[in-house]
Amino acid sequence: MKSLDELDKLRQKLQQDMQVRDNDHEVRVTVSMGTCGIAAGAREIVQAMLEELKEQGLNNVALTQTSCVGLCQHEPLLEVARGGEKTTYINVDREKAREIVRKHLVQGQVIKDWTNPEK
Amino acid sequence: MEELSQHILDIAFNSLEAGATELTISVWEDIKHNLLQFEVLDNGRGITAEDITKILDPFYTTKSFKRVGLGVPLLQEAVDRCGGNLKIKALPPGGTSVTATFPHDHLDRAPLGDITGTLITLITGHRQLNLVYRHRYNRQTFIFETRQLKTLLRGIPLHTPEVLVWLKNYLNLKIIDLRRETNEEFGRAG
Ligand code: FES
Repeated sequence: MKSLDELDKLRQKLQQDMQVRDNDHEVRVTVSMGTCGIAAGAREIVQAMLEELKEQGLNNVALTQTSCVGLCQHEPLLEVARGGEKTTYINVDREKAREIVRKHLVQGQVIKDWTNPEK
Repeated sequence: MEELSQHILDIAFNSLEAGATELTISVWEDIKHNLLQFEVLDNGRGITAEDITKILDPFYTTKSFKRVGLGVPLLQEAVDRCGGNLKIKALPPGGTSVTATFPHDHLDRAPLGDITGTLITLITGHRQLNLVYRHRYNRQTFIFETRQLKTLLRGIPLHTPEVLVWLKNYLNLKIIDLRRETNEEFGRAG
């Protein structure tokens, strides 16, 4: 079966890649996954993040989830934690999620405009 | 929620919040008998008869009981809208099963939607989770198990973005195949 062959090739490639380690994550991204987060598209955010992390070759980001954070009107919502610094992005969509990976995770620039509550 | 797969994610997420480490998600589609059913089965803390009444109540919110939220009442509503049926059961050794049954062809039945996205999201957020996904379409069955995949990966973490993107494509392909009635079980050729 073709796609399992692909998996095997991928595995061999990753095995050679010294970057793949499971536990030393520099950055943690937490997507809020309560009922209203899911309804607002949190699942699509996780997938967009994965695609962009793959494209940028970032294997050292821990992509985790939390339950309701009580900010329904700002969902989908995610938090980036790097060192001691935490940033919460609100009303994220697929494109914003990808941009957060490129700007914040790759270049280290916080995208301030997306962190303020939209009134 | 627009898709049944979002309800599945929500119910499964509740299971994980209740301490589940094993999750079996099953989808049955039987066109001849006009049936679509899904079940989320977990090994979490379980549930009491009293709690079952409570989780169906959208106004019951206590933070000490994690299964409570809007999720189950929303699913109940999705079920009622098309004359379906929802069952929540405590399992004897601990754990819970949530089963929702729908008339397959009902116009007001929400589509199953992006079930792959639901599975990927669960796997991405929960490193310790053992997930089994079973999808039966008429007489064809597709089974996926994270345990098996981990064996195939031989030490490469399942949570590597590249692996998860591969998995997403793989699952999409297999589920489309299933509907074409050509099927192989996960891992058989591997
Ligand atoms: S109910 Fe939790 S954020 Fe809306």
